[in-house]
Amino acid sequence: MPRIRFNGITKSFGDHQVIKAFSADVPDNEFLVLLGPSGCGKSTMLRMIAGLTDITTGQLEFDGTVVNGTEPKERDIAFVFQSYALYPHLTVRANIAFPLLMSRFKPYHHLPVVNTLMRRRVLRDPEVDAQVRRVAEMMELTDYLDRRPRTLSGGQRQRVAVGRALIREPSVYLLDEPLSNLDAMLRSQMRAEITALHQRVGKSFVYVTHDQVEAMTMGTRIIVLNEGVIQQYGTPKEIYDRPANAFVARFIGSPPMNLIRCRLEGRSLRFPDGGTLQLPEGCPSPDSLERDVVLGVRAERISVAPSDAVASETLPAHIVLSEYLGAETVVAFKSGRRADQAEQGTVAEHDVLQARIPGELHLTPGADCTVRLDLTNASFFDIDSGERLPVAVPEATT
Amino acid sequence: MTLGKKLSSVVRGFGIAVLVAVAGFPVYWLFTTATHTTAELFGGQVQWLPDLGQFFTSFTSAASGVPMLRWLSNSAVVAFGTTFLSLTIAILAAYALSRYRFRGKGVFGFALFATQMLPEALLVVPLYSIFLTFGLLDNLTGLVLSDTAFAMPVAVWILKSAMDGVSLEIEESARVDGCPRYAMLTQIMLPLIAPSIAAAAVITFFEGWNEYLFANTFITDEQKWPASKGLASFIGEFVTPLNHVMAAALMFTLPAIIFFLFVQRRIVSGLTAGSVKG
Repeated sequence: MPRIRFNGITKSFGDHQVIKAFSADVPDNEFLVLLGPSGCGKSTMLRMIAGLTDITTGQLEFDGTVVNGTEPKERDIAFVFQSYALYPHLTVRANIAFPLLMSRFKPYHHLPVVNTLMRRRVLRDPEVDAQVRRVAEMMELTDYLDRRPRTLSGGQRQRVAVGRALIREPSVYLLDEPLSNLDAMLRSQMRAEITALHQRVGKSFVYVTHDQVEAMTMGTRIIVLNEGVIQQYGTPKEIYDRPANAFVARFIGSPPMNLIRCRLEGRSLRFPDGGTLQLPEGCPSPDSLERDVVLGVRAERISVAPSDAVASETLPAHIVLSEYLGAETVVAFKSGRRADQAEQGTVAEHDVLQARIPGELHLTPGADCTVRLDLTNASFFDIDSGERLPVAVPEATT
Repeated sequence: MTLGKKLSSVVRGFGIAVLVAVAGFPVYWLFTTATHTTAELFGGQVQWLPDLGQFFTSFTSAASGVPMLRWLSNSAVVAFGTTFLSLTIAILAAYALSRYRFRGKGVFGFALFATQMLPEALLVVPLYSIFLTFGLLDNLTGLVLSDTAFAMPVAVWILKSAMDGVSLEIEESARVDGCPRYAMLTQIMLPLIAPSIAAAAVITFFEGWNEYLFANTFITDEQKWPASKGLASFIGEFVTPLNHVMAAALMFTLPAIIFFLFVQRRIVSGLTAGSVKG
């Protein structure tokens, strides 16, 4: 069960650098999620951990030993590919047992014909059979052991791929978006199964996904990547509550964190349309007295009331879209009273903010409303760099 | 069934019947001619139907006086030798072309194509000179080598295309599972491209089985003739026993048909289905 250490790892394809100085230290038995948008380099990173792609510069260490030049089979890893990569000419039984077959084969067993005979012989071995059955039972594949992958559904194939990874009991499991092609229900089920599997086997998992729900629900630690650069490394809670920059703030959370440009004047926030809000007592804030900032507030920290009378500590706004989701209602709104027919019903533009209201809330697009922001755990980002601004709790005034 | 569907079914059936007739008629004519005597064939009346009573007499008389079995076995040696050698080289070359990046890859691929642009007849004289030097004249090995030179490039391109269609991730998965690089071909690639190997085997087999030009030039010993050359020897300066020629031709065709029927069962598509999601 190795401690994985990334030491200034970079990867270039020709002149194009896809991973830029990747450094992180992942303790044993963690469920690490590499999260980022498509093309951010997360799959490349996983392939470098597996040894399928060479590292351009930097060092990858397993328990303090540099493994840069080590072959995949010597790294004691298992890899579940995005495409499953099952062996279509072999039965489910032979697919799951393949790593065991390879460990028992001598060089001459790989010769044509000999390999078929040896495969049959090893599969009949009681020890191998018991291991295959154990994994098949765990993955609910016992009834399909003698079938070929082409006769299985997507979910079953995915389970075969995971089963093949399980049988060898490696130190590290590497999973490359294994749920991306499953329907929503199956994905949710497999998510729970993989999480349970991690707890059961007690090994390190590295999981690549672009789905932040998967990352938040499965990961014990998350690395958020964008354009080959680590944006943040932390627990799901740290990343959700204290995003390191505006990219992470927008990438994590559904709806994403609301980012509002405003001017910080001491303990008050002045918004472009003239509204002002006071930071509550004890609420941490950037230490500079006066500067432009980007205020970050989670959707569940905003409440919307259908009123045209602006009360104190509320901001005037108007509804753009209201989506009822059963347990909650997601309300999209724009600040100010400038209701325009053309903007109603669309959230695909700037300056649209979103609130998540528990239960059902009837709001008509275009209607005026007032919004109240809970700034207790608000984030502040630099207006130019987008980086999170350090905050401090003000000293109590006497 | 609607009228349109019925009509389309009839038209399709008619089309298939025409194709079968066009392809099958020469074989039928071969058989019919083989079962009649020369007198009947040249009697001025067209013999449309085979005379089944003459069947064995015709075949035994065609095979008598000539080492027919010997010629057929020579042809088999050349055909199977060409198939084995061509496929062995082609599988390795196709794998390299499909999976590796190396200097001169494009030129090598083009050179393989270029060999198909040269007519065989052009190479008879230089090959004769080479074979003379290496003692390959009057030797079936020489025929295997020359036929392999022509059949192998075609096999390389068939197999390369098939290998290109196999997802790289299957091989990577095998690498992670502990499959050594040298075993990737036998464990993963060959079973997956079996239909294309069968197709390439058919092409290379017939290149060897139908060999005539090089055999006619390089083999003078009658005992070493392949059957194609033996068949041609039936055509005399003054007399050509057409029924014997056709009977011998049928004997020559039969093993090739059996080989094809045996191999064509492997030429099926969809073997890689279910491997990767898509």
